[in-house]
This record gives sequence, structure tokens and C-alpha cells, in this order.
Amino acid sequence: MTSLDDISKMFHIEFEKLDKLINSITPQSELPIHEIIELYYHIINMSSMIAMLKQQVDSNYPKSLVGKILETEKIISEKFNLDIHPQIMTKLVNSIHDTTVNLQSSDSTQKSKDDVENEAKRYEELRQKMSTQEFVEQYDKGLSYD
Amino acid sequence: MIEELAKNLVNLKQEFTKVYVGTSHIQEVIPIHKSKMFPIDENHLQLLHHFAKNNPIYYNFYEQKILEIPCIVYEGDINKYWLNSIQYGSSHAPFSPTWIMSAYVSMLFAKDFGFLEIIDIGSGDGRIAYCAKILNLESYSIEIDEMLVNLQKPLSNILNFHPHCSDAVQFDYSLLNLQKPVFFIGGLAQMGGIELATGVLKKISLILKNVGWVFAGTYSLKYNSDPKNNAGWGTFMDEHNLKHIQSILLPTVWTFHESDATPYIFTQANE
Repeated sequence: MTSLDDISKMFHIEFEKLDKLINSITPQSELPIHEIIELYYHIINMSSMIAMLKQQVDSNYPKSLVGKILETEKIISEKFNLDIHPQIMTKLVNSIHDTTVNLQSSDSTQKSKDDVENEAKRYEELRQKMSTQEFVEQYDKGLSYD
Repeated sequence: MIEELAKNLVNLKQEFTKVYVGTSHIQEVIPIHKSKMFPIDENHLQLLHHFAKNNPIYYNFYEQKILEIPCIVYEGDINKYWLNSIQYGSSHAPFSPTWIMSAYVSMLFAKDFGFLEIIDIGSGDGRIAYCAKILNLESYSIEIDEMLVNLQKPLSNILNFHPHCSDAVQFDYSLLNLQKPVFFIGGLAQMGGIELATGVLKKISLILKNVGWVFAGTYSLKYNSDPKNNAGWGTFMDEHNLKHIQSILLPTVWTFHESDATPYIFTQANE
């Protein structure tokens, strides 16, 4: 059975990862798709852990763990939900729009095999961005129900 | 014999996926000549190649022996049609075609079952309707996406498969004077196929009774399965009193990277 100490240690480790991820993001950051996914998964996991821990919290809980839970909630609700998440949504929308316009304006006549196959890679990137946008929008819908 | 042909085509596709080293977005093969595995009329094979060679979605082709069968590999790209269809929300499912050979084999089945006319709903580049015409069946191709209909028009100069740019749910089928038609529904049940099939079936039931329906299905775990099976179409078939005639597996572009082929479910309205 997992002890409170183990839970506390694990939560601290996850908090450190989250803190590092969040602090590495600036308004200028252009996060690659895999980093966006990693960030959201981390947020979702920590939110689930907090929800679970809060159901069990009692006077035996170490103060440091309770403090970290509150600090994490604050980071997620203020820094991530109000600042980073909207930035990511806007950047994805703009990036999808730009790539779409770019692909549509590409001259479709007289393309070599290599040209067609290089362009197909850009279409694949566009599909990945669109899937990521769907994923991020799902997170956003979840916020509106909170 | 047609079942054997379908099995051989699936085997050919499975071998092709192992030996294919290209990087094209889509790819398919057509045997060059009649053979024991593919006892197909030479003229029909030539017409299948003619369709591929005149179809702008293919940008490259080359000869390759697969399972000792000399074939032509066609490499293509349908990305711009995908982008067009999702951007304007014009279609129930983005364009992703069956193989040309699969279209031909499914038309052999349709002819064998005694249908006289083929109506391809959500016809993409019109390959199913084209293959029906090769077999002297009357055929009509209904496609909502104008970009795809413009792709069909020059191809219909080879064999006129009557492309119509129209919403299949709104189309007036009484104009076609159908006698014993079979409708091919483009799109998996889980990818807008049910809505499309429901809309067309409602229109048809007002004018005809003895109608066949063919659905493209899937057993992939990526999609929700249907409690009544039939590759996603079981509940729909029950609700609309459609009798199962046959299911066949055939290669399609969207299953190229998967071990399974696409099940095509042939059904007929219970009289």
C-alpha cells in the first residue's frame, strides 16, 4: 500500500516537472506539437491527482503536501488556464490558417515527384496541428464546465 | 470465381505493402495482363489502366512484379481534395478512394447479383461508376464536391459514367428511370455513412422497392463497433429491413497500412 510519504514525494516530483514546463514557456515560444501534447497531459494528470487527493485530505496530511496542492492549483488555474492555454489555442489557429492558405496557393501544375511528396509532408503536419487543436479545444470545453 | 479474385487481390495488396518502398501519400496496383490469379478480360484491364493514367491524382507509375504478377504501381496524392472537402464542409466524409481493382471486382459482384444500374453515392473520382460502365452496367456518379466532379468530367470522356454534382440526399432519382439499381454508399458507418445512407434511402423508398445497397465497413478497433455487426452497418440494416447478400474483403486506400482489408457489405431491400 502506498504511504502518504510516497504520495507526497510523487506529487512533489510531478510538481517540479510542471513548474519546469510552465516556466520554459514565453509568449514568443513556438511549441512543437509533441511538447503541447506533453504539457496538456501533465496538466490533466496533475488535475486528476489533485481531485483525488482532495477527497482524502485530512489532518494526517503533511502540510507541505497540502501547500503544494494549493500552489499547483494556482499555477494551473491562473498561469496555465488564463495565460498559456489561450496563447496555445491562438497560435494553433493562426498556424493552421497560414499553412492552409499556403498549401492552397501552391501551384499544382508541373510538380516533380519530390515536390508532391514534400508537399504531402506539409499536409501531414497540417493534419497533426488540426488533431492537436481538437485535443486542446476539448480541454477548453472542460474549463467552461468547471 | 469472383470470390477467388477478391481473395487474390487482398493477397496481392498484402504482398505489395511488404515490398513497397516509396513514400507517396496513396498507392495501388493493377496487374498488367490476364493471369491465373487475375482472369480478367484484357480490354477491361486496359480500361482500368487508362483510368489511372488519365487521373490527375496519380503523379507517378512504374512496373513491378508482385507475387510473380507483373503489375503497374500507381503513386498519387489526394491531399488537396481532402483540404477542400474539410474546409467547406461540403461532404459527409473526406475523399479517400477504394482501389481501382477493388471497384472493378465489386462491380463484378453487382453484375453477378443481377443489378442493372449502379449509383455511386459520394463517388470521389468516379472509379466505381467507371468500372460499372466497363461491365456494360448503366452507371451514375453522384458527388457533392465540385472539385471532385471536375476531376471526374475528363475521366467520363473515356466511358460516360454520368457524373452529377449534387447533394445525394437532395438528388431527384426519378430522373434516372431506374429498373433494378444498386447504390454504393461512400463513407464508413462511423464516418458519416449512416447519415448519408439514411437520407438517400428515404428518397429512394418513395420511388423504388427492389433496390440493392452496398456499404463500406470496418472491423478496426479505432471505430465503435455495431452491436449487430456487419462491419458497422448491422443496426442500420435491421432498422431499414435490408437483407444481407454477401460480404467481401477488398483493398482500399485507407486500409493500405493496415493488415485488414475493407469489408463491403452487399444487401438488398426485403420485399
